[in-house]
Amino acid sequence: MASVELQGIRKAYGKLTVADGIDLSIRHGELVCLLGPSGCGKTTTLRLIAGFIAPDAGQILVGGKRLSGPGQAEPPEKRNMSMIFQSYALWPHMTVAENVAYGLKLRRLPSAEVERKVDAMLKVAKLRPLASRYPGELSGGQQQRVALARALAVEPETLLLDEPLSNLDTNLREEMRFEIRRLHDEFRYTTVYVTHDQLEAMTTADRIVVMNAGRIEQIGSPEDIFLRPQSEFVARFIGGTNILRGTASGRTVQAGALAIHWELGEGGEIVSIRPHEIELATTAPDGPNVFPGTVLRHTYIGAQRDYLIDLGDTQIRVVTALEQHFEPGSQVFVRLPPRRCRALVR
Amino acid sequence: MTRGFDFSRLLFAGVALVLALLVVLPIGWLAYYSVTDADGGLTLANFVKLVTEPAMRKPVVITLQIAVFSSLGACVVAVPLAWLVARTDLPLRRTIRALVTASFVTPPFLGAVAWELLAAPNSGLLNQWARWLFGMDDYDYVFDIYTAEGLMFCIGCYTFPYVFTLLANALDNIPADLDDASHILGGGAWVTLRRITLPLILPSILAGTLVAFLQALTIFGTPAILALPAGFHTLTTKIWSLFQVPPQPHLAAAAALPMLLLTLGVLQLQRWLLGRRSYVLVGGKNSPPRRLALGWWSGPALILCLLIMMNPIFLPYGALVKAAIVNNISDSLSWSTLSARHLHFILWEFSGTRDAMVNTMILGVGSASIVTFIALVTGYLAHRQLVPGHRFLPALAMAPIAVPGIVMGVGLFLVYTRPPFMLYGSLSILVLAFVTLEMPAGFQQVQAAMRGLHVELEEASRIFGATRLQALRQITAPLLRTTIIATWSIVFIGVIRELSATILLTTSNTKVISVVIYDLNESGELGAIAVLGLFLLVVTFAIVLTVNRLPILGGRVQR
Repeated sequence: MASVELQGIRKAYGKLTVADGIDLSIRHGELVCLLGPSGCGKTTTLRLIAGFIAPDAGQILVGGKRLSGPGQAEPPEKRNMSMIFQSYALWPHMTVAENVAYGLKLRRLPSAEVERKVDAMLKVAKLRPLASRYPGELSGGQQQRVALARALAVEPETLLLDEPLSNLDTNLREEMRFEIRRLHDEFRYTTVYVTHDQLEAMTTADRIVVMNAGRIEQIGSPEDIFLRPQSEFVARFIGGTNILRGTASGRTVQAGALAIHWELGEGGEIVSIRPHEIELATTAPDGPNVFPGTVLRHTYIGAQRDYLIDLGDTQIRVVTALEQHFEPGSQVFVRLPPRRCRALVR
Repeated sequence: MTRGFDFSRLLFAGVALVLALLVVLPIGWLAYYSVTDADGGLTLANFVKLVTEPAMRKPVVITLQIAVFSSLGACVVAVPLAWLVARTDLPLRRTIRALVTASFVTPPFLGAVAWELLAAPNSGLLNQWARWLFGMDDYDYVFDIYTAEGLMFCIGCYTFPYVFTLLANALDNIPADLDDASHILGGGAWVTLRRITLPLILPSILAGTLVAFLQALTIFGTPAILALPAGFHTLTTKIWSLFQVPPQPHLAAAAALPMLLLTLGVLQLQRWLLGRRSYVLVGGKNSPPRRLALGWWSGPALILCLLIMMNPIFLPYGALVKAAIVNNISDSLSWSTLSARHLHFILWEFSGTRDAMVNTMILGVGSASIVTFIALVTGYLAHRQLVPGHRFLPALAMAPIAVPGIVMGVGLFLVYTRPPFMLYGSLSILVLAFVTLEMPAGFQQVQAAMRGLHVELEEASRIFGATRLQALRQITAPLLRTTIIATWSIVFIGVIRELSATILLTTSNTKVISVVIYDLNESGELGAIAVLGLFLLVVTFAIVLTVNRLPILGGRVQR
């Protein structure tokens, strides 16, 4: 096991900068998720760590040893890492057992040892009955488990996962999320996990790194990221939010006709408040941040109701309990509780 | 669809009948002839002759030897070449691919003539150079193309593209992730090549070699030009000789039949090999392949590739150009020996040229148009599953792939030299031959395109109110335009380079360019051949370049 340290990593393809000064330090045995929309540079970052590509600037240290620097990289086969690919990359000409044994054989372990380890790994991954099947004969979930077993069998210092669940259906994905976390708790490999699915990141990660346009937006625990977003991008990307812009004066942002008091955050000209934290009422409640509005749209979404409210200058989304029912066109009062309003600088 | 008369069923019946007749008629007659004697009585004497008479047995043995060794040679050359081009950062790799495509479309008989110019024992350019270089005597020589080895070499020059193309495509299609997965688990470049890449492409290597084997087995032009002067026969030239005076069609049929069966068997084997390759590719994007950096090896690797390409391209083409522009074949190239004599001869003096060109164009355009039309209709009916029984159509259209040109020639000869169809001596028998022989190639193009053409595209148009024919015209036809051009061009090129079936079916009124070249070779007019051959090549390359961006002939994947 080893720590992974990225210092000022830059990588560009032609004029397209895909990693723009990435600083990130991952502790021993930690599971870190790189989370972001497609094209944000998360897969490039992973491939930089794996050594498939070399950075243009910056360096990567693993266990204190410098493995990548500008224009040069220790080749992947010398890094004692392991990776699970989005396509699983199972070798179609090898059986499940042969796939899993591959890395062990390359490490020149005695064949009895290889056999024992493969067997143990297949047992953990619940693949024993399938040991002599070919990948083409397996279901998607089984293939995913083979990929996992193959990656873990070599007992890597670092485990890299590139969207490992994106090809599974919803139920299986949920199951595998917990499986990956369980295996991580059991083996404690330093793990870097790339995903665009926030739920996947929330349920598996010790820490989440939110990336956007080649840069890191925020690093923090799942709770940090959700409860204390530090930028408009993070607030929008994780959980969704309403953004109101205006001019700042003290703990108030004047957004058009609306003067919004906020109690969270560090100040700035942007106020973020999540749809389910906004209250709706037919009569004006007391206190600040109460504004009259008109219901534009009502959507029933199972356990809740989703409203789009026109506040004159702007529109906001509100999610309420089932009992609060307003027809489109009705006049309502909207209250933005100040202790839920977060001011953001960017 | 139950409004009135169903046009698609009639079309289906018509196409199925035509496709079936194209193959069944000649092969049926071939089988019948092989087990009968001149009086029509049943006999196995023809087959007995085949194995007992040395004049028949020797060509069989030699043909097998040539096919085995030339295909093995083709494999040995094509594997490293394809790997270098598809998986490394070899400089000029696109050029190398284009050169392989060029050797793919070069008519093999032309290559054989060019190698006569290069490596005939006395006049061959290479031998002249060798004499000058090593100070040898006037009649000493290093190379002799008129030998079994020379024939193997010359056949291999133009069959290795089959192996190369299959292999390069397979290498292009191996997801980079499969290599990356090996690297990250500790496998270096060499281990990954040996344990992952090679096993994955092994079926393609074998399949490609089998194709090269079949080509060598059934080729007529090259042995006709090189083996006959050397005084030996291959199976194809032997079959051809059985049609010379006095004709022995029954024995010819018996000799052609094993070739057909062997082809069937090998194709089945090839299908089995390629079918086992069940690549599991779950969706998701694959990163582009990381090309192996050759470093200081790139120089030697490039030289190796260029040395390989000397044989099918640089040397033969050079020899043809030289032969076309000097006064006498033995002249060396200089200002004083330059001459337009051969060009003049071909264009104005030689009576056969114009007829042959006109015939070739008529046959090329006609056959290409017919094949394209039938392939489109067949592909559409089969893919859209419009009529019951649609799944037999592709098998029918692909059936001729198992029929070598010379076998088809024998079969058609037998069918159409007797009532009720007296087509021998007309261009239509050649059209029949070309349409049949080229149908599989054309159909494969259409089928591949149809697979990529989702039925929803047409359905989307219908839901907006277009009728089936409108949808076909406004949506499907424009999307298939490139396929139509590609299919047409492939058939056209196939027709103008065909000799095996043509040589049996042509008469003095229906000469085509390939036959004229063969005749000129008999009379030793190599300069004239060079002019005609270069003309053929120019036409071919013009077509290939026009459709360069279309996915044909393996030149497609250019990264």
